[in-house]
Amino acid sequence: MALLEVRGVSKRFGGLRAVDAVGLELRQGEILGVIGPNGAGKTTLFALIAGSLPPTSGEVLLDGARVTGLAAHRVVRAGIVRTHQIARPFPNLTVLENVVVGAIHGARRGGGTPRERAAEVLAFTGLADRAGDGPATLTLAGRRRLELARALATAPRVLLLDEAIAGTNPAEALALAALIRRIRDERRVSIVMIEHVMPAVMSLSDRVCVLDHGRKIAEGTPQEVVRAPQVVEAYLGKDGEAVT
Amino acid sequence: MTLAGREPPWRVLAGFAAVVAALAAAPLLLDAYTQNLFTLAFLMIAGALAWNWMGGYVGQVSFGHAAMFGIGGFVAARLMLATPVPAPLAWLAGGLVAGVFALGAHPTLRLRGPYFSIATIGLGEASRLVFTYWERFTGGASGLSLPLVAGGKEALYFWGLALAAAVTAASWAIRRSALGLQLLAIKADVDAAGDVGVSSTFLQDLVFVLSGAVVGLSGALYASYFSFIEPNDMFGFDRSISFVLMCVIGGIGTVLGPVLGAIVFVLLRQFLLASYPQLYLGLYGILLILIILFEPLGLTGLALRVRRRLRRKPPRALHAAGPLASSASANEEGC
Repeated sequence: MALLEVRGVSKRFGGLRAVDAVGLELRQGEILGVIGPNGAGKTTLFALIAGSLPPTSGEVLLDGARVTGLAAHRVVRAGIVRTHQIARPFPNLTVLENVVVGAIHGARRGGGTPRERAAEVLAFTGLADRAGDGPATLTLAGRRRLELARALATAPRVLLLDEAIAGTNPAEALALAALIRRIRDERRVSIVMIEHVMPAVMSLSDRVCVLDHGRKIAEGTPQEVVRAPQVVEAYLGKDGEAVT
Repeated sequence: MTLAGREPPWRVLAGFAAVVAALAAAPLLLDAYTQNLFTLAFLMIAGALAWNWMGGYVGQVSFGHAAMFGIGGFVAARLMLATPVPAPLAWLAGGLVAGVFALGAHPTLRLRGPYFSIATIGLGEASRLVFTYWERFTGGASGLSLPLVAGGKEALYFWGLALAAAVTAASWAIRRSALGLQLLAIKADVDAAGDVGVSSTFLQDLVFVLSGAVVGLSGALYASYFSFIEPNDMFGFDRSISFVLMCVIGGIGTVLGPVLGAIVFVLLRQFLLASYPQLYLGLYGILLILIILFEPLGLTGLALRVRRRLRRKPPRALHAAGPLASSASANEEGC
């Protein structure tokens, strides 16, 4: 059975169908990539799964139990956590304290005290030496790591990563990709990732699903998806040529 | 209670205990007038710190806390007039009723920033009108006279000191606790806090109750202190503003700030009311503008700046803008 199941979820903003009857399945230990042009509805889909927005219709199941309609903090406690495309650290707290906030709820499930848990997660994400600094002193890649650390501290079963890599330099991008793989392999967290950095999506994802205009237009292994004509069309237009 | 940063808790506790002990011994030296001024300062310290839990920690600036202050006062007064309960029990009852009443503001928690503040003005003024016209309970515009407390003003000094010390200790403990971190996270970004599991509605309700109860408790002691209360003073908009002023003067969101602010406020008010009764609100306005323009963290910010200069460390950039978001640097310093 799928760990996370999204069934026919839709979100309408007035006349705009931001997400239109999208279905997804995430298996235990899997990394699922979500790609699509800007405005395809990827981030809205995450907001619907994570409880930041209520869906117009459809449902989200974690391990067979409905989480649709729960407030965001309850979805986190159920085991689904999202990160934000633009990292949103709490600027009035130190790096460690930022992670402790997530660990307060993670400690109930994962054991230990929030501070122990936060220290462990900081070490895992490579931020241990920045624990006492303010988030404003971190680089973009550092803030992305903090965003990851704060989410991991909640002891999630499913991690929704919204462009965790895009915008960082090539060396940092490789390091972040390695970190994401380790999150899956060592912490046994299943991952759905929205990403624009194609090499990262293609190498990390077990499967990829493609959204365009709120609809799912393709799903399969990375190799299958990039060759699918409807995907090429969505990215490059009708007369475009396939990129290989 | 020191300004010092990451000092071990025992040093802070030792300093705090020394100040409380000195104040407990002070009545031996003080004349009655000064002692009464101290008592008033203790009550205002407790009220300002409790307001700061909502206004400083959660970042929801309430202009309606007079409602809880007044309810605490009038419930305690009515209890003491109608029954022979000892004053401390009546005060406690006043605080509890005020805490429950504060929950009535629950619907305003959907609002943030200025919208929340405006809603609390409405609630505060509505409470003032209701209680002014509810003559059978509050005595209307002619107010209520209270029986004297056993032990008189001397006893009230110690009750006030105990309350102020307990609320200061609680503020410090909350600030360092998991609860405090979550409140600061709500202040910074309520949605991002929810996305890592913080239940902002529940925690804000909790803080509303705690803050309302303590403000109610200080209102109840204030009623006994003045031994005469009337709704326009207890529930007045001035009263609500005074909590905001004390925290802004001292340093919003810090522990030390509201304590300093309340002391300055009480002294200034006493002086100005005696010398320039027509001017005193205007002078507060000017003070407020100066503080927000030049030192958003108030006296605490000023003290931190002086200390940094003395240590000749380059000033650290404040990474938060505006008076209501700028407790970051104070947080680093552990005020």
